[in-house]
Amino acid sequence: MSPLDSTIPYYPVNDFGPLMKGLVIGGVGIVHVFLAQFAIGGGMLMLYLERLGQRGRQDARSFVDGYFRVLVLVSFVVGALTGVAMWFTTIQVGARTIGLMLDEFHWLWATEWVWFAVEITAGYAFYRCGPQLGDRARVRLLALYALASWMSLFWINGILSWQLTPGRWLDGGGVWAGFFNASFWPSLLFRTAVSTTLAALAACIVINTMDLPRDRKAALIRRASWFAAPIAAMPLLALWFVAVLPADSRSWLLGGSMAMTMFVGVAAGASLLVGGYVVVGLLLQRLYINGATATLLLGLAFGATAAGEFVREGARKPYTVRGVLYSTSIRPDEVAALRAGGATARDPYPLKESYPTEQLARGARVFRTLCDACHTMSGANALAELTRTWTDDQLRLNIAKLQRTKGFMPPFAGNAEDVEALVQLLRWEHAGRPAVAPSLSAAASPETLAQIARWLDEAGTAPAGAAR
Amino acid sequence: MWPFDASIESLWLALYLASFALHAVFVSYVAAGTAYALVAALRRRADPIAARARDWLPFMLGAGITAGVGPLLFLQLLHQRRFYTANLLLGPRWGAVVPALIVGFYALYLAKASERWRRLALAVGVACFGFVAWSWTEIHLVMQDDAAWQAMYGAGARFYLDAAVLPRLAVWLGAMLALFATVGAWQAAPVERRRLAVLALAGLLVAGGSAAGIAFRGGFDPVHGWAYLLAAAAIAAALGWLMTARRPGGPGLAVATAATIAALVAGAIVREAPRLELVERARTTAAGAGGLPVFVATLAIGIAAITWVIRTVRAR
Repeated sequence: MSPLDSTIPYYPVNDFGPLMKGLVIGGVGIVHVFLAQFAIGGGMLMLYLERLGQRGRQDARSFVDGYFRVLVLVSFVVGALTGVAMWFTTIQVGARTIGLMLDEFHWLWATEWVWFAVEITAGYAFYRCGPQLGDRARVRLLALYALASWMSLFWINGILSWQLTPGRWLDGGGVWAGFFNASFWPSLLFRTAVSTTLAALAACIVINTMDLPRDRKAALIRRASWFAAPIAAMPLLALWFVAVLPADSRSWLLGGSMAMTMFVGVAAGASLLVGGYVVVGLLLQRLYINGATATLLLGLAFGATAAGEFVREGARKPYTVRGVLYSTSIRPDEVAALRAGGATARDPYPLKESYPTEQLARGARVFRTLCDACHTMSGANALAELTRTWTDDQLRLNIAKLQRTKGFMPPFAGNAEDVEALVQLLRWEHAGRPAVAPSLSAAASPETLAQIARWLDEAGTAPAGAAR
Repeated sequence: MWPFDASIESLWLALYLASFALHAVFVSYVAAGTAYALVAALRRRADPIAARARDWLPFMLGAGITAGVGPLLFLQLLHQRRFYTANLLLGPRWGAVVPALIVGFYALYLAKASERWRRLALAVGVACFGFVAWSWTEIHLVMQDDAAWQAMYGAGARFYLDAAVLPRLAVWLGAMLALFATVGAWQAAPVERRRLAVLALAGLLVAGGSAAGIAFRGGFDPVHGWAYLLAAAAIAAALGWLMTARRPGGPGLAVATAATIAALVAGAIVREAPRLELVERARTTAAGAGGLPVFVATLAIGIAAITWVIRTVRAR
């Protein structure tokens, strides 16, 4: 069968060794988000300090030229290229998800691209020619740069928040219903506050490298610190964001999934430390912040960003686009057909490894199709470890009733033979992958398969939570 | 007019081709400019063309990457399954283009800032950009070779070692020299243009020879006349460069530039022709997606803003 024939797209699946795919996309995404938000806040900060500089505060102007060099060297290079890396990594992790996002929002993505082009053009023009330009031209260029970079965030934010809360779009509300979804505004305002905070902290580091007396550095730091003030609004914005989440997603974050709750705790704790220092230390007590402390705070802010992005990604479970596409890259309305015909019947790609029996080979295909998006076999989030202590029947029951076993798992999109093949594969892994497959209790007997089929029927093909 | 009609796929195709042509100008300047600057650095002779290229290369790479997002976006609408499959088949080896570009980017900044490290930095840059050009050539071919996908996946092959890769890459490398020379000549004083004319002629020769070889092996397709237009434009560009070599301050450069632009447009269509029949019919979600008026309005604003920026910095 040609890989292009199937109505449900089957893509080649890559194995990242002990890394689960969420870690791969998360690693790239966190670096990209951090740098992109730094660039957005940096634009606004420089515009503000340029205006100050033109009103007679010469140090502010020297800072702008120095800071911009950092911005160009870090953000324009690694920031822009990790954006490209996000495309490629998303294809590796969930080709069908990025395809759907692009299909629905390509004109808005193209709009974002135009703003990105304006941002880069204005930024490079300022970098190359800023020192030779007049005051008015400098301010206008920086204003254009700041506006374009924030507009870039505006458009991308709508697409990313749609994944989590598509809302009225699910009822055929169209692209704008999807774009201006329930989490659009809290997410946009939250990210804007993060951006200005990151820019202010990075500014404190750059100011400490400037060849100025301490009192003049302190004066600059005081000015830049005001850009971190929006961090005070972040608790409220975070609560707003959590409030608009679907009930099941909210429950994962607030204790339903301990891993997710811990990430929420890390994000909140790190943000609280940064916010506490900014509000009490920098704004109220007007403390001087040295380069080491500013770097430490920026590191904490990176930790908060990392944890926050994991929370955002995790809250979508069991979907990548809520109500539309499961994390397995299968649509809810396709599950019934896969239950009937089997998960791998139309998978055109061969296995890279050989297995002792046909059934184990089938299990490997099932694992590749239905589990590999979020699990590894024996690395991070290892399926072999998660199931090692389960009995054979417990394995069969829990897999067949997957969305009932854990609410953030999608329904099992295969038939009874697929469940049994996966169970046998796991037992073979538990036994250390022997050359001869172990014999299981009642393995693949007609009674066993009939029991699995009954469990699949009882679980149904709907997800555990509501679609929205 | 072929290959365009009134369908939504045609609009995506037109935007893909336009943004691809723009991207090609910038990345050609980067790849060929870095190689030129490396040769000049190895020869240890003052070369104003190389000095100017070094100064502009980081900006050109930034512009090339930015412009490259456009074709990347529209390609995923036209050839979604093929593009994603090729990405996945080449896997991490394909993903290595991103770190290669990051390393190449910093190498260009280093080459600009440090005379001591210049040769090493430029050599690293040439290696990185060469790798990226080769990888794009490979993935373009993998996308079209669906008969090979299953075997590639089963064997875990991350390289597509087909005989078509090298000639295709040679066409691009020749075209890149010509495009670099065209942009570089407008930046150069008339006295410096002779050398660029020789470079452009060499590039056209390499590209033309390799393209002729591909056509000879694979069977010539006039592509509804676009192949003839491409050949005529390339010949006109060569004549323009010959005029420039004889009289650097004369109208030869304008002729060569106009002909190169025509060749770029025709070349983009000829390049696309073999996979036009593979374009996926617009998926329902994509065909019905809203937001086009916003994009058009933003594009107009963006072009106006970029024009204003260019005028502002030129007027300083």
